[in-house]
Formats: sequence, structure tokens, C-alpha cells
Amino acid sequence: MTALASELRRISVGIGQLAVSSDAGEVLVAYGLGSCVGVSAYDPSLRLGGLVHILLPDSEGRGCDGREPARFADIGIDSLIRRMVEGGALKGRLTVKMVGGAAVLGAANAGKFKIGERNAEAIKERLLRHGLRPAAEDLGGVKGRTFEVHIGVGRTYVRTAASSPTEL
Amino acid sequence: MNASLAETITGTLSRVARDGAVRAGRGLSGLMGQEITIHIPSVRIGTKADACDAVGGEESIVLGAYLSMSGDISGHVMLLFPIGRALECVDLMCGEAPGTTAEPDELAESAIGELSNIVGSAFVNALGDYTGLVLHPSPPVILHDIAIALVQSVYAEILSQGGDVVMIDTVFEDTSGATAGLLILAPDPLCLALLKEHAA
Repeated sequence: MTALASELRRISVGIGQLAVSSDAGEVLVAYGLGSCVGVSAYDPSLRLGGLVHILLPDSEGRGCDGREPARFADIGIDSLIRRMVEGGALKGRLTVKMVGGAAVLGAANAGKFKIGERNAEAIKERLLRHGLRPAAEDLGGVKGRTFEVHIGVGRTYVRTAASSPTEL
Repeated sequence: MNASLAETITGTLSRVARDGAVRAGRGLSGLMGQEITIHIPSVRIGTKADACDAVGGEESIVLGAYLSMSGDISGHVMLLFPIGRALECVDLMCGEAPGTTAEPDELAESAIGELSNIVGSAFVNALGDYTGLVLHPSPPVILHDIAIALVQSVYAEILSQGGDVVMIDTVFEDTSGATAGLLILAPDPLCLALLKEHAA
């Protein structure tokens, strides 16, 4: 049964965090994605969804610390897929979406490290290793975004500081 | 980062922040034709959450500006205000009665950009004078966004260099307490040793 909007519980998925849920009353939310990228995966057959909030493109052999276990794209994507499969999902059924990767400190300053852009590229490359491509994405630009995954209905929404939520 | 380096960096930037505040106050007073003083209640090495808490929380919408610092050392300077505080600043700068500016419109963004330029540049110049290093502030980029998106992006820039994160939250307010904002000074990790050497 679909939960009423007022009954939904919002679970914040902070920087370097990962959450997986099959609770129809939950909404996984990555607030304020700047150069970070939020990646969602959803198996509609199980109504199982996951969201990871990635900060940087490559661990370069560095482990993640306990506070931010999914800080890097390589480790974060592998962890998301593993957790989904452990929950019973099939990779072939997963719908993957990506949001974020902006240059919020201004386009002129994005050239130095291009972290948002590099995050998006690294994530896509890692997804391909799992045989996955994003079905939808909202990437780049100069504004921060908040990304929501509604577990019960499998829908995803994106909003910015200036805009109301739009479905992705 | 070891405790000694952290202490040196914080100590240096505390002195610099106070000098920068005097210079920024002078600049703002000249611009507005009235006496503006800024004081620095605290300078601390902060986390992302600390920085966001100082401007109303991670999800709060903030107005401010970002300047990059280049020269002998590089780094990041960001000045953020919760929207309500930013609007109070705009009224102050425009000589309007408090509460006149109701929305963060283009004029408000422009005024906050100018304020941030004066304050940010004053801090970079103070740091250069204190250490003897040649430092250049970039032109400001006006920010109007979700607090954590901005703070996180500076955090990512620093962390991507494989070093320690040193974000110095500098909370400042004017003498009436009518305005308060957050200045984040974040030297690039590769520059910390040079900064320590010149701060000694």
C-alpha cells in the first residue's frame, strides 16, 4: 500500500553515506549535492531502493574511513550494487539514476579540479563494470540539488534552492 | 595533521582574521559612509557540519560569495550568510530601514557580492602581510544556494589533493549583533607546511 505523503519518513543520506530500503514509507534523500553526485538504484519487482552520496571520483587505493564509507565513486558504487544484490535485487532489473556534479563555486573555478565532472565520469565508468548505465541523469550546471528516492513508488525527484521538486 | 600544525594554523589565522576584520570594517565604513566594525567571536578548525550549523543548518539557503586564493599558496575563501542575515546586510549597505529588503533579488546578490569582495580580499591581504607571502584574491563568485552544497564543494576540493582538511570557520558579527555570517578560510593542504614556516 502506498503511504500518504504526510506519513513518509525522510532518511537523510549524508556525504559518503549509503542507504538501502524496502520500506514503502521511506524517502531516501541526499540534501545539497554540489560537486557530489547522488546515485540511486531501484528494483521495481522488490520495491527495493538504494541511494549513495559520493564525494570524490577515485579512492586511489585509499580506504574510506568509518564516517564516510562511500566517499569515493569506485567503492561507493560497488557497495551500492552489493547491498542491492544482497537485498535480493537482480542487476538486470536495476534502474539507476544520477544527480549532482555541479560547479557551485562558479564555472570559472571549476577548471582547477573539475570534481563534479570527474565524479560523474568515474561513476558511469564504474557502473559500466557492473553492466549498468544510468536511465536518467541531472548533472552539471552551477546549482546545488537535493535528490529524493521514494521507495514505495520507485519515483525520484530533484529540486534546487530556487525550484520545487521535479520528477527525474 | 598533527596537533602542533593545527595549533599553528589556527593561531595564525586567528591573528589574521582579527586584522582582516579591522581592514574589512574600514573598507565597509568607507563604502557605506558610516562606521562599521566587525569582530571575530571565534576562529576554529571546523567540520562541514560545524560550518553549516553556523549558517542555519545543512539544508538552509544561504547568500554569499566565493574567492579563490592564488600566489605563493592557494586556497579558498567563502563568506556565507543565512538569507535573513544577508537581507539585513543589504538594508544596512543601502541605508534602508531594517526589513526593507524582503527578497534575495539581483540587487541583494550584487550587494552581498560587493560586501564579500571587501571582506574576503581584506582577509587574503591580511594573511599575505602577516606571512610575507604573495597572495592574490580572485574576483568574487556570488553564491545563492543550499549551504551544504557550497561547503561540501570546498571540502571536496581540499580532500581531492589527498591532504588534511583544514576549514577555519570564522564567525563574525557587527557590534549591534544585527548581522552575522560565516567566513571559511581553507588553505590547500599542499600549502600548509609553507604557511606554517612563514607564520613562525
